[in-house]
Amino acid sequence: MLKVKNVSFSLNGKKILQNIDFSLSAGDFLGIVGPNGAGKTTLLRLISGVIYPDEGKIFIEGKDTRSFNYRRLALKVAMVPQNTFISFPFTVFDIVLMGRTPYLGRFERERKEDLEKVKEYMDLTGIWHLRNRKITEISGGELQRALIAQALAQDTPILLLDEPTSHLDINHELEIISIISRLNKEKDKAVVLVSHDLNLAARYCRRLILLKEGKIFSQGKVEEVLTARNIRSVYHLNALVKKHPVTGFIYTIPVSIQNGKRSEKRGRIHLIGGGGSASKIMKELIDRGYEVSIGVVNVFDADFETAQIFEVPCVVEAPFSPITHESYQKNMQLINACQLVILCDVPFGSGNLLNLKAALWALRERGIRVVVHSETSIKKRDYTGGRAEKIFQDLIKEGALLAEKEEEVLSFVKDHFS
Amino acid sequence: MLQRRLIILGFLVIIALISIGIGLSVGTVSIPLSSILGVLFGKIPYIRKFVRIDVPDKYFMIIFNLRLPRVLLSILVGSGLAAAGACMQGLFRNPMASPYVVGVSSGSSFGAAVAMLIFPGIFSVPVVAFIFGVITTFLVYRISFKRGKIATETLLLAGIAVGFFFSAITSLLMYTTASGVHRLVFWIMGGFWNSSWARLLTVIPFVGFGIPAIYCFARDLNIMQLGEESAIHLGVEVEQVKKILLIFTSLITASCVSVSGVIGFVGLIIPHITRLLVGPDHRMLIPISTLMGGIFLLWCDTLARTIIAPVELPVGIITACFGAPFFIYLLTKSKRESYA
Repeated sequence: MLKVKNVSFSLNGKKILQNIDFSLSAGDFLGIVGPNGAGKTTLLRLISGVIYPDEGKIFIEGKDTRSFNYRRLALKVAMVPQNTFISFPFTVFDIVLMGRTPYLGRFERERKEDLEKVKEYMDLTGIWHLRNRKITEISGGELQRALIAQALAQDTPILLLDEPTSHLDINHELEIISIISRLNKEKDKAVVLVSHDLNLAARYCRRLILLKEGKIFSQGKVEEVLTARNIRSVYHLNALVKKHPVTGFIYTIPVSIQNGKRSEKRGRIHLIGGGGSASKIMKELIDRGYEVSIGVVNVFDADFETAQIFEVPCVVEAPFSPITHESYQKNMQLINACQLVILCDVPFGSGNLLNLKAALWALRERGIRVVVHSETSIKKRDYTGGRAEKIFQDLIKEGALLAEKEEEVLSFVKDHFS
Repeated sequence: MLQRRLIILGFLVIIALISIGIGLSVGTVSIPLSSILGVLFGKIPYIRKFVRIDVPDKYFMIIFNLRLPRVLLSILVGSGLAAAGACMQGLFRNPMASPYVVGVSSGSSFGAAVAMLIFPGIFSVPVVAFIFGVITTFLVYRISFKRGKIATETLLLAGIAVGFFFSAITSLLMYTTASGVHRLVFWIMGGFWNSSWARLLTVIPFVGFGIPAIYCFARDLNIMQLGEESAIHLGVEVEQVKKILLIFTSLITASCVSVSGVIGFVGLIIPHITRLLVGPDHRMLIPISTLMGGIFLLWCDTLARTIIAPVELPVGIITACFGAPFFIYLLTKSKRESYA
């Protein structure tokens, strides 16, 4: 249906898009995501025929779009633009009716069929009751729905949407995208959605293109494109990417901003955690520019996920398994490479007692300073019948710094490295 | 909706005919309706056989050689300016645009000044004014033409800049040469005292062909209100439409200015008032503006030549005096309504 072949576009000598290559078939729902200025809108304008590529070609149904006149193109592609300002008081009905223009001759009046289509799509987008209102006097969200109705009334095989829901309330947003999604499925309408909302795109699009600085950084299925690694590279953002247990859609939560490269300059800290006890401190340390490692944590553990988000070196143990000697060794290797160990506020059982031992080893054998975060007293989180408490007391005795609050931990860290 | 619009249209035609009758009747010499009809019907082949109204030769002279061309010219100019104004406001998506926005008036004034100073004559002035008016538009158009497209914002600014430039040179000419200044000032204020059948005939092709030509693009103008890119998405050949409409509005405006000087306000307020009456649809806006503009300017001119007869006022003074307060009234009224 639509084929974008090796397209490049520059404006005033600046390359806006480079070597864009993808295709779209009937019934596709493609999302184009990427940061501001990545070229998302420009790509849509190229497809809609408002501008022409400097290099490469765009084909619709096998024909170069350059050979189309605007009217022929308007029968194939409809577009909902990001911002529209209308200075004259047309009625909402008139505005939606304009979507039928490509079907009408210069002096032809709108036919019954056109009026019916307009009614149908105004009903669908929930604006039929606004039909006699002036377009200059309705709200931004109502205007946006009118423009979507207009593009639907255009009845094209391809629909382009540029941030179509930016002015909508969340209920209308869901409603409108659901309508588009339904038309996509029922009428095989090919949809291209540009959005800055990754979760929206992940929810409705079947395929995604992630743009970075005018190039396709990644394209494919949603779960292939929306990975923590891709998001970090493109948005410089540490994000949690998960499949939602209720909806089954991929969703992302921005966690923190990645300020350039993490440097070794401020020093390296090893965390001993588990069960989510290290997650918050890990984020704080990374935000402050420290190099962080963590061990030993189980797969699926909250701390493991956090380590994934920030991509920090991590010693991993199989899910729900006690720490093996091998992991213990690996943990000691990471400890060897750091200048400070933080023992987090984690409960101890027989499975993770080796983590506690690793802390003692660091202090006793390697002379590395250990900060002990203990908000809950060790008595309450010792499930080993006193063995953990004993090692803990040894740690304190031999000079580990005890911090009851997270802020204290951070201030110890600050003192240590200054 | 359609019915309502046809009623308005028919109503305006009737008003126009009545206005013509009044325009022909009043003046330094009042002429009774029967004589007017006699003159008019007496000129139409076949019908004149059946109409037997004796008209004094004196009346015949006044009506046929003086008042009729003048009345018709004022209608034509009013129609032309109003239609051109409606078109410009649509093109620029701005209700404050007027036919003079691309500098036609300043260019024509400069042309008129040059003609008056170098080779004065009844025909040289309008001809040179027309040529300069068209040249100015072309210049403004060239300035804003980039990479195959006309940048509408640049067009607006270039129009203002070029307009000021020509105004400055015109002022310089007026300042340095004492002779002809008086006439030029009158010319710029606008009026129909030089009306003649010849002048009427020179304007007819431009206005008579130009307005229907603009009307052909009424739907495109409607769609262009969504923005130029959105219009392209709906299949409108925006650049072509802009080019054609600019050419026609410029020709209409330049021809009107060349025969009657710079008559302000008609091209600005008539489309505006019409929009308040019939809505923004150009398919209605352009024909109704045409009629309203014609009627409005006919009444203004009739007033201009009778209000302090035998002295005539420049019609531009009348259009502004009546137009501006009415316009302000409509503005404040519509503002209140939109807040209510």
